[in-house]
Amino acid sequence: MRKIINTPEAFVDEFVEGILLAHPDLVTTPGDDARVLVRADAPVAGHVGIVTGGGSGHLPLFKGYVGAGLCSGVAIGNVFSSPSSEQIFEATKAVDGGAGVLYLYGNYGGDVLNFDLAADLADLEDIPTATVLGRDDVASQPNERKLDRRGVAGIFFAYKAAGAAAERGDSLEQVAAIAEDVVEHTATMGIGLAPTILPTTGKPSFELPDGEMEIGIGIHGEPGIRRGPLETADEIADHLVQPLIDDLGLTSGARVAVLVNGLGATPLEELYVLFRRTHQILTEQGITIERRYIGEFATSLEMAGASISLLELDDDRLALLNAPARSPFFGEG
Amino acid sequence: MQSGDLRARLTATLTVLIESADELRDLDAQLGDGDLGITVKSGSVAVIEALSALEDSATPTDIARASAKAFANANPSTMAALVAGALLAGSKTWADTTDVTVADARAFTAAAADNIAQRGKTQLGDKTIYDGLAAVAESLRGPTDAGSAIDAAITAAADAVERTTPMQSRRGRASWLQERSVGIPDPGATALLRFLEAWRSAQ
Repeated sequence: MRKIINTPEAFVDEFVEGILLAHPDLVTTPGDDARVLVRADAPVAGHVGIVTGGGSGHLPLFKGYVGAGLCSGVAIGNVFSSPSSEQIFEATKAVDGGAGVLYLYGNYGGDVLNFDLAADLADLEDIPTATVLGRDDVASQPNERKLDRRGVAGIFFAYKAAGAAAERGDSLEQVAAIAEDVVEHTATMGIGLAPTILPTTGKPSFELPDGEMEIGIGIHGEPGIRRGPLETADEIADHLVQPLIDDLGLTSGARVAVLVNGLGATPLEELYVLFRRTHQILTEQGITIERRYIGEFATSLEMAGASISLLELDDDRLALLNAPARSPFFGEG
Repeated sequence: MQSGDLRARLTATLTVLIESADELRDLDAQLGDGDLGITVKSGSVAVIEALSALEDSATPTDIARASAKAFANANPSTMAALVAGALLAGSKTWADTTDVTVADARAFTAAAADNIAQRGKTQLGDKTIYDGLAAVAESLRGPTDAGSAIDAAITAAADAVERTTPMQSRRGRASWLQERSVGIPDPGATALLRFLEAWRSAQ
């Protein structure tokens, strides 16, 4: 295991400490637990708070999207493990500005249980909550079981839109409806080329023979649709983009935002090669790209691979994407 | 049962329950990841500590809620989160209750069972703690005095364990074993039975 770490046990706390030292103007910890982070000006009176969270190992997910126009707070667990309900509840109290709190996070069993329990605790203190789950990974379940899909990079779009809605003063019901609407119109698919090594166990997150790729992989290395020999970038883009178009039912005249996301060890150059072909595919089918995001948005430590997400746009969703935002890892306007 | 008695009885019960931790760990190791032992042990220790920190004026609702929080945080496993959510759901049925009757215990248990069914997305016959809880809630319809109520509850919980042992687990890690789960008692339902037995012996 060749990693730039001190000890595996201290890894999470130390990268969090680094983020706090680097961005004291943007984020802070409300209490003693550095696994709970909120925007520096939390709570924002009269505005809906948005709390997200999940396991560590996915930066910029989840901590990177805390700030104005995005999420208000986050609770993170150990690498690939859920935060506790207490941590989520602490974030909830710290961001509650009197207008309620939206829980917006990826659809994973442990996270769901702990967020639901945090919602119970919030309810006892009369803080209303609503929950919207990111579930954009089309490879994890077929369209008829889309509610059971796991959440991956496409949750970025929901953060951006819901965060903009909360910032302009929408109610909890409205912010939740906007997040749900964006999730409903987002689809993602990924490809894995090499696993990450988990710091605590020293074991790879999945096994993949040399020269092979896993199509439809999840952000913890979950198996996808199939495994096969490594193909060219254009062939990979074809495999990833067409299922998204089909899943969202996009036809000529549709407008989309594209997110080409690196999973940790794949260089930006390769992501742009993927975007090049993605652009060709969409253009050939008469689909207009209104916004494009290329880089690392949701990683799996140093896993090699990429994912492509599409968000079908209308004027409302586009306006929310274009609204200003500022966090340690993302800025807009 | 008044608040002070409830606290004392719960503390005594959990002290006895901790003795079942090894049995539950071994059972869970056959079907799941074996962390039920530590969940029950560290959870019970944490609840006992939380109860001792409560003010004398704490109501039964306060006791249930303090227990839920302590249990959830001690070892944040799936089971801990489910049990804590169930206790919170149960506590809502008590509102301003100061003297817990058998009818109150039944309302609490029924709400707890419903919560676990919903959160755990489980049904009767899936071979989980829900089979036990639902049976216990049902068994509390008849009796009015505490002694016969705990007897009925233990009979119902034991029967649920026995009834589901020949079944195949359909939820959680245990479901991955498929037919290999047949013949092994469900660890969650067994934990509920051990809790009730501890409650009776702790008086």
